[in-house]
Amino acid sequence: MSQIMHQQALCSVLEKILNKALSLNINGTQGLAVLEQKTLTIYLAELNFPLSFSINQQAILVTTLTERSDCQLKSSIASLVELQKEQQLTELIKQDKLDISGDIKVVQQFAAVFENLSIDWQSELAEHIGDIPTYKLSQLASWLNNKIKFATEQIQADASEWLVHEKRLVVTHSQIAAFNQQVTDIADEVVNIEQRMANLMTKIISTTHDESH
Amino acid sequence: MSPSEQTTVTSQDSADSESTTHFGYQTVEKNEKESKVASVFHSVAQQYDVMNDLMSFGIHRLWKRFTIDASGVRPGNKVLDLAGGTGDLTAKFSKLVGREGKVILADINSSMLNVGRDKLRDKGLVQNIEYVQANAQYLPFEDNTFDIITIAFGLRNVTDKDMALRSMYRVLKPGGRLLVLEFSKPEHEIINKIYDFYSFNILPKMGDLVAKDGESYQYLAESIRMHPDQETLKSMMNDAGFEQISYKNLTDGVVALHKGYKF
Repeated sequence: MSQIMHQQALCSVLEKILNKALSLNINGTQGLAVLEQKTLTIYLAELNFPLSFSINQQAILVTTLTERSDCQLKSSIASLVELQKEQQLTELIKQDKLDISGDIKVVQQFAAVFENLSIDWQSELAEHIGDIPTYKLSQLASWLNNKIKFATEQIQADASEWLVHEKRLVVTHSQIAAFNQQVTDIADEVVNIEQRMANLMTKIISTTHDESH
Repeated sequence: MSPSEQTTVTSQDSADSESTTHFGYQTVEKNEKESKVASVFHSVAQQYDVMNDLMSFGIHRLWKRFTIDASGVRPGNKVLDLAGGTGDLTAKFSKLVGREGKVILADINSSMLNVGRDKLRDKGLVQNIEYVQANAQYLPFEDNTFDIITIAFGLRNVTDKDMALRSMYRVLKPGGRLLVLEFSKPEHEIINKIYDFYSFNILPKMGDLVAKDGESYQYLAESIRMHPDQETLKSMMNDAGFEQISYKNLTDGVVALHKGYKF
């Protein structure tokens, strides 16, 4: 498939996912009213084409059109993830990781829409597979979630324990090298002493031998 | 005539004499083609969307999305979706032009227009859409009316394509653009062969099975082969007065999107 087709496929999939998520939002779609006919264009460093998100009649249209944009945002996926922390906005702009031009309110309103997104997955799932399987699945998901959470906490605790205490006790490469050097030095000294002792012994024997004559 | 014997036609094709034209591989009287095409589309209208998805494996949606993106449509624009059929392009344009804009869904075939109107109304798209039954050769609009005209998979069914292009040029505003999305000639021979096999062996059977109308889909395959190739269509648009004409091949040239401006 050509690049054009990839672009259009991505737009199509994004549009479907976003609209489905919005239609399932238990907080409704009132937040979209202020964005009616507004367009946010995002230039992601990872993509070589823009993505424009336009709101029309409580739905999102995803295109590569840039003709009608109210706000343009240039960034990367990693920076957008960081942007979730509000205080990061100024910091990211300072670091040239984020560039916003146009009406900044549009970005804030789009962000607010997705912050208010809350989906009752259990009700949605129950409509398709029934109440009891949903309950069982929820229990399983909850159990798995707890296990993963516990495992993550355990790994984090073990990691910090290791970093704070055990890592300090572990011998470093330079320490091993220094120790090896010291062993070599001692071995050399031992060889020297042995040599000197041998010399002394030779001298003592020869002296004793001369005296006896 | 077998598919392999087909050569892409040019506007000077001998069959396109003063009084005759093509209907698939047949040469028919010009006044006969309209009624024959009409009967094909009356027959397939109800199953048109399903068949489009089946035949193109859903890719026609991506081709149409690209057409929208290439149009550079803005809020407030007046758009003519010619041979708009079941309204796929109209639905998207309607959202993008907003309340200040307008989209006219025009089709020569009343059955297609009815299916399109019902579909769009069911989607709640009523505010800025008008429906007009119109022949592309004699567009019933004043000169310099539209910012954008699109004709997607419709031009090959028009009896006199040159006349239709001139008519479109007339109703476009200066600065306006025409986008022609149409089946074309694949760039690679291997794709051409696969495409031929698919079009003449599988497609009519699909049509027979799903739409209970294999003949109409046989016509579809034949009409695609008889349609002008990329360069020929470009020169036809040039002859009609369009400027800065360019085209983009999609899916290896199985489909091409031509774009031309009126200045």
